[in-house]
Formats: sequence, structure tokens, C-alpha cells
Amino acid sequence: MKRTLLALFLALLVLPFVYLPLLSLAGNWRYPRLLPEGLSSANWQLALTSGSGVGSSLWLSVLLSAGVAFTVTIGGFVLGKMVAAHTQRTRFQAIAYLPFAFSPVIYAYCLQFFFLKADLSGSILGVVVAQVLLLLPFGVLFFSSHWDERLHAMEQLTRTLGGSRRDAWRRVLIPVSQPALLTAFFQSFLLSWFDYGLTSVIGLGQVPTLSVLVWQFIGEANPYFAAIGSCLLVFPPVILLFINKKIVFRKTV
Amino acid sequence: MFLEVQHISKSFSGVPVLCELSFSLVSGHTLAVLGRSGCGKTTLLKIIAGLLDADSGSVSMDGQPVDSLPPQARGAVYLYQEPLLFPHLTVFENVAFGLRLRRESEFNIREQTLRMLEDLELGDHAGKMPNALSGGQRQRVAFGRALIINPSVLLLDEPFGNLDVETRASMQQLFKKIATEYRITAVFVTHDLKESVLMGNELAFLENGQLQVFDGLDAFIRDPRTGMQEEIDFWKSL
Repeated sequence: MKRTLLALFLALLVLPFVYLPLLSLAGNWRYPRLLPEGLSSANWQLALTSGSGVGSSLWLSVLLSAGVAFTVTIGGFVLGKMVAAHTQRTRFQAIAYLPFAFSPVIYAYCLQFFFLKADLSGSILGVVVAQVLLLLPFGVLFFSSHWDERLHAMEQLTRTLGGSRRDAWRRVLIPVSQPALLTAFFQSFLLSWFDYGLTSVIGLGQVPTLSVLVWQFIGEANPYFAAIGSCLLVFPPVILLFINKKIVFRKTV
Repeated sequence: MFLEVQHISKSFSGVPVLCELSFSLVSGHTLAVLGRSGCGKTTLLKIIAGLLDADSGSVSMDGQPVDSLPPQARGAVYLYQEPLLFPHLTVFENVAFGLRLRRESEFNIREQTLRMLEDLELGDHAGKMPNALSGGQRQRVAFGRALIINPSVLLLDEPFGNLDVETRASMQQLFKKIATEYRITAVFVTHDLKESVLMGNELAFLENGQLQVFDGLDAFIRDPRTGMQEEIDFWKSL
């Protein structure tokens, strides 16, 4: 019984990674057939060469998420240090939780008025700013617990050993924090990568990230292109997870 | 006098921690400061190191006021209870850290670091990472990292507090040896009575923000606040 449940659980985990590539390669797969009639790369060729926008959406998503993750990681690292050292630390941390009280879509609707006024709606920059506003508190919360007494003591020790503030950051704080920086980058990349609600509302449908495009294909009842978009949406984070795990574990063991 | 601390006061949120505290220390001597936890020992060391600003008073080293100097320009190394070795650097690189900050030549760094490692009996561990060392070895690396830059003053904040009894005793011996060898001027704070007597050429007691520096061991024993006479009586009564 226990083994069956475990096998079922594993099958559920693996299913999307088998089903999505299969669907994307299927020429014709209709009910009640259990498997597609044939497999070919025709859908992929069509999606990547025609004006479906899959290729450009992939690059847009990669650049947008990397930019957001980079800003959130660096901003969270620096602001987290300030919060950790502040006498009102607990109050700041409580405030930083506020954006997570809403869903991203509600948060986006709250921001939309200001974004329209600032002429940021419907632009890539607007989506980047909105995602950073949503995710920066996550970065601050993540790093405010990272900046503990020990790290502070290492910074002070570096100063008394003859190092400037810059030396302390460059030679100690950043190298020691590398696993945490990588984890924060990876997590904020993922949050940005899979975001649909905030991007749709602030982007007004004019910022076609992969997640937006997949929803569009689903709406158009185009399961094969939706599967291709989903494959591209799922596999890069899996690769990133693998790399991140390898690096983080190498650094901490 | 090499180190002179004059009328230092410091409060946190209106609570006074140090009040008009003064003392001076001859070059090459170790002042052992005995005090209970939370009596302001760490605050005193951090003010001397430049890591905290005093509300009033001044600190001079070798006749020069250092109050306006940043920590890296004072030449006072602050050693914590924990060795705080940099986990991303090998033992060799941890010890060489201060020399690299000073942009010494590669030849000098190698020569001085290897000599220091030999002095501290750590020659065989140069390539190891800190997590592969024992508690005593880590503390020795921390000492080497501080000593290699030839600091004007060494500020030790209960550096052996986390070590077991045996390692603590051997580290106390090692400190005595290198303090004499390198002619170190040091302020050694501890809450351990025996350790204060073992480590200091000069003895002081910190309580209620006031520092009492004693005129020799007899005066230290006679002062009932130190608890030294009580300790002696206890051992005699056994």
C-alpha cells in the first residue's frame, strides 16, 4: 500500500515532464487514443519559425526574470542589512510582509492607477518595476534573517584587520553570502518567471512573456503550442534548480 | 603609556554602560579586565577598536588621539569569543588575510604566513578549510590572522570562552608565550577569575560602568568584589 502510494506520488511529479513534451511532439492526438498517432518536430518548427511569438517570448521572459531577480537579490541584500541592523527591525519585517497579504493580481490592480499616471502600463519597464515592487520585500525578508550577529562580527573583524568597508563587502560579506545570494536569485527568478496575473494587468497584454503566451494559446484552443510554451516554461527552471542545488551544496558542505 | 583611555562614557537608550572610565597601559603589557556578563566589557573593547563611538571621552595610542580614525586605521585588532574564520578561505588564506589587505608582495605573504603557521603549530593544516579544524586549532588560526599584521593593540573578548577546559588551558599558555614573543599590548576581558590572573600583567575589575585598575595582585585579592579571596579560602578549606 505504502509503495503504491509512493509510486503514485512519483508518477504525479513526473507526469508533466512526460506529458508536455509528448503533447508538443504529437501530430494528432484525439480522444480516446491513449497515445498520439505519431511524433514529429513539426509543431516545434512551426512555433519557432512562424509568427507565434514563442521564440521572442522566451528571450523576453529570460531577460525580464533575470533583470527582476538581479535587482531583487542585490536590493534585498543591501536593504536586508539595513533592516537587520535597525532598532525597529521587527516592525520593518512586519511591513515587508504586507504585499503578500494580497494576491499579485489584486496588488497589480492597486498599482495600476499609478502606473497609468506614470505611463508605465503596457511596457516592459512597467512590468519589471511592478515585479520588483512585489518581490523586493521578499528579498528584504530573506536577507534580514541572513544578516545575523555572526556576519556582522565578520564585517567588524575585517575592519579591525585593516580592511575598508569596500574590502569587507568584496572579500568577506559577498563571498560568505554567495549561497544565500544564489538562492535568493533563483527564487525571485522563479517567482518572476511564472508570474501571470501581475504581468497581464500591468502589461495590458502588450508584454508577452511565456506565461502570458501559454494562457493565450490555451484560450485559442491550441493545445500543441500551449504544450510547447509550457515545455519552455518548465524546463529552464528545472535546469536552474539543478545548477543552483549543485552550487549551493558545494558552497555549504 | 601606549594605550590611554580617558573619561569614556557610553549609554544605550539612556542606560549608562560605561561612566567616566579611564585607564592606561604600558606597551607590551596585557591588562586583564574581569567583569560579570553584561557589565560593559565588550562595549569598552569596541570603543577602543573604533567599532562604537563613545558618548564622551577619548582614546589615544602611542600618544596620538585615535577617536576620529576609522577601525582600519587604528591598528587595534578585536578578537571575538568565536574564532570567526572566513569559511570560504583556507587556513593559509585566513592567516594571510590582513597581509592581502595591505597589498604585500606574494613572496612576503607566503614567507610570513608560513612562518606564522609554524609558530602556531599549524604548518600541516595550511591547505585545510576551517570546518576541518578543531576548536583549539580554529582559535589559533584566529590568533595568527591577528598577529601577522603586527597590531598596535590586541583586544580579546573572552577568546577562550567556547573551548573545553583542556584546550582552554593550552590556549592560555600559547597566548602567554606569543604575547611575550611578539611583545603584544593587549586588553583581555574575561569573566573567569583564574583566567584573568593567568593572562594579565595588570589586573582590573569592571562593575557599574567603572573600571578599577589594581596595584598588583595583592590589591586584586584584597578587593572583595573580585571574589579572589573567597576563591582562595574555598580551596584552602578543602
